[in-house]
Amino acid sequence: MLIKVQSAANRGLETIGVDVEVNVANRGLPAFDIVGLPDKEVQESRERVKTAILSSRIEFPQKKITVNLAPADVPKEGSAYDLPIAVGILAALTNCPIPEKSLFFGELSLSGDLRHTKGALLLALFAKEKGYKNVFVPKDSANEAAIVRGVNVYPVENLRQLLAHFAERQCILPLIYQPVKETLSDDLIEFDMKDVLGQEQAKRAMEIAAAGGHNILLVGNPGAGKTMLARALPGILPSLNEAESLEATKIHSVAGVIPPGGALLVARQFRSPHHTASQVGLIGGGSRPRPGEISLAHRGVLFLDEFNEFPRSVLEALRQPLEDGFVTISRSQERVLYPARFMLVASANPCPCGYLNHPKKACVCSVQQIKKYQKRISGPLLDRIDLHVDVPPVDVKELAENQKASEFLEPSKLIKERVMFARKIQQARFAEDLIHTNAEMKNSHIKKYCPLSKEVEQILQQAAMKFQLSARVYLKMIKVARTIADLADSPGIEVQHMAEALQYRSKSYSEG
Amino acid sequence: MEKIINIQDKNYPKLLKEIGKDAPKQLYYKGNWSDIFSAQGGPASGGKNCLAVVGSRHMTTYGKQVVEKIVSEVAAAGITIVSGFMYGVDAEAHKTALQVGGRTIAVMPCGIDLIHPEYQQDLYAEILDNKGLIISEYEGSTQPVLWTYPRRNRIVAGLSKAALIIEAGEKSGSLITAEFAKKYKRKVFVVPGPITSENSKGIMQLIKEGAEAVSSAQDILKYYNTLGFRSSFALDPKGPRDSGIPESSLEIKIINQLQREALGIDMISRNLGLPAAKMGTILSMMQLKGQIKQEGNKYYVN
Repeated sequence: MLIKVQSAANRGLETIGVDVEVNVANRGLPAFDIVGLPDKEVQESRERVKTAILSSRIEFPQKKITVNLAPADVPKEGSAYDLPIAVGILAALTNCPIPEKSLFFGELSLSGDLRHTKGALLLALFAKEKGYKNVFVPKDSANEAAIVRGVNVYPVENLRQLLAHFAERQCILPLIYQPVKETLSDDLIEFDMKDVLGQEQAKRAMEIAAAGGHNILLVGNPGAGKTMLARALPGILPSLNEAESLEATKIHSVAGVIPPGGALLVARQFRSPHHTASQVGLIGGGSRPRPGEISLAHRGVLFLDEFNEFPRSVLEALRQPLEDGFVTISRSQERVLYPARFMLVASANPCPCGYLNHPKKACVCSVQQIKKYQKRISGPLLDRIDLHVDVPPVDVKELAENQKASEFLEPSKLIKERVMFARKIQQARFAEDLIHTNAEMKNSHIKKYCPLSKEVEQILQQAAMKFQLSARVYLKMIKVARTIADLADSPGIEVQHMAEALQYRSKSYSEG
Repeated sequence: MEKIINIQDKNYPKLLKEIGKDAPKQLYYKGNWSDIFSAQGGPASGGKNCLAVVGSRHMTTYGKQVVEKIVSEVAAAGITIVSGFMYGVDAEAHKTALQVGGRTIAVMPCGIDLIHPEYQQDLYAEILDNKGLIISEYEGSTQPVLWTYPRRNRIVAGLSKAALIIEAGEKSGSLITAEFAKKYKRKVFVVPGPITSENSKGIMQLIKEGAEAVSSAQDILKYYNTLGFRSSFALDPKGPRDSGIPESSLEIKIINQLQREALGIDMISRNLGLPAAKMGTILSMMQLKGQIKQEGNKYYVN
């Protein structure tokens, strides 16, 4: 008896339909085979399915069972085929009908319960696109799938419950999406800008970076507050809009980092991989391409603390995604594209010991060591970072008592409003272009949207001579000045905007 | 071609000969010896007007300012600056001397054919191009080792009428040079620094032991003048610099603050009660006008 159950496979962010064909033959020696390029996880599915069916107090047939996963030439991976295989076998045994236009997806535990399975959101999206009515997923993954409206998402707890539903003895009700207050990110404003004492310029630079989507490099002595500033950044970024949120959630779903019962991501992601991260971990990849940290940080913040300590090969691999906003991972078997449009926040010490230019502690590094340390980051990579800021050490005790310093403390909420305002201006400006922020401007956009008055051009040229700015830095300064002008609601770039932008030029942080 | 000068040679520096058994038997050199040392007195008075300028390898911005201020004037007055070619104060002293058209001698801790530290080869070439000398007591490509550095210092001190120490930590090699200078009965000048700085500890020690603190190039030039020497080609080191004149009252306020103490932008904006964004604009403009300059993360008056 041949039964066909529909399921789907995720390849990167694409989903393709997979037919799970189950044949329970009356002739032949008892056996249980899976064909159709199953990998190890899918092969092992046999044991899980067999035991789960037995645990559900149903006798497993001593017959020749053949499972085919079609199309047969696409490699199948993951544990999500457990449910469709089990359903196929049960349908063949019990003769109960499988609801039409339904997709099955989920991993079985030996007890017959269903476990949280990654990628449920993409399945639901696929179902909607292809016109399937019902989706059966594990209960823990159901909320994630229910984000997609127009498809019935059935949260399945265990096999017995599913059988009862088929027999119409006890119906499972489709789940209605419930937004979880915070998915993945612990708290919306975990670090408030007003908690960062001093660092007025660095905070201003963060505001500009947030407003224009610029990448930013923070250089300072240990303990100056670089990490705190970076962590406060998501709090001043505008919240994800619906499309962005779905994009980010899709990547997280595929990567399997959405917790059981998880929902749409609302807060911008803040990813801070350790500097021992491998290239594959950061960029994505593997024999079966997985999204890396840069994709998990999509539409959010990628914070690379101790920037100079990352292996050079890893950092250089960042260049292409920084430019394009996505990364293509090519393997002989498949080619996968993961979006990776993130804001890079890098932080570094000025020298190996960390105390160069420190007011109290003496630096013990030689000039050569410092040069070597700073050379670890290549020019092309630094060129992709628009804002370079010094984060000098602060005397926390003194600042806490300083009246004037406390006047400058602004809560993140207030800064966020200004950022949103500047983003709105950019939205209107780039309505006809494919970009959203000033940071994404290419040369043609700069020409079109950033005409410089003679006065401003003069200042910039003067600065280029005085500070020896390269042509690329020149363009960066214009972009940053554009964002500063947006923050000030100025239609043109004025002298004061350009002058401020010059503050954030890249400086070699040691003389010698 | 090996260039060697023997202790018996009449062109052997007299001051160096005076240090007795410490004097090297022979010196290898690069450059033109008679440009600085010639028995007849020569353009640079037979090497009688050398000043050793040494200091910390970890030069601070303050140290750099001091070198620029004092050494430029001293070198412009025709005094030959002798130092050890090490990075930090040494290299800065060589550079400053060359900038004002002065003469300089670099004493190497390694064989005469080596450049150490290697990455300063530009400076090396510049010294030779400008009638300077490179001296070493070691032949060929002898590698520098731990004990050649203090050995080298005795030549630096021995060649010079006086030694000027700028920035020295507690265990700085510059203190060894100062010790040699004292031993050879040479004058020791020091530039005081803030007592909170690690780089002042050695200096303070020298002051306590009786070194003379200097606050301007005049203090040193006076000492050399009493010896009856005055160079004809004095350059005004302040000459070519353009110092913009502060315009607004705000600029004057900022300059007043910076004259007292070098500050970072956060501190200035806090003191004047202006947001960092506005202050950034003003400071950039002042920098472009040449009123102030930025080094490390602090601003200085030009």
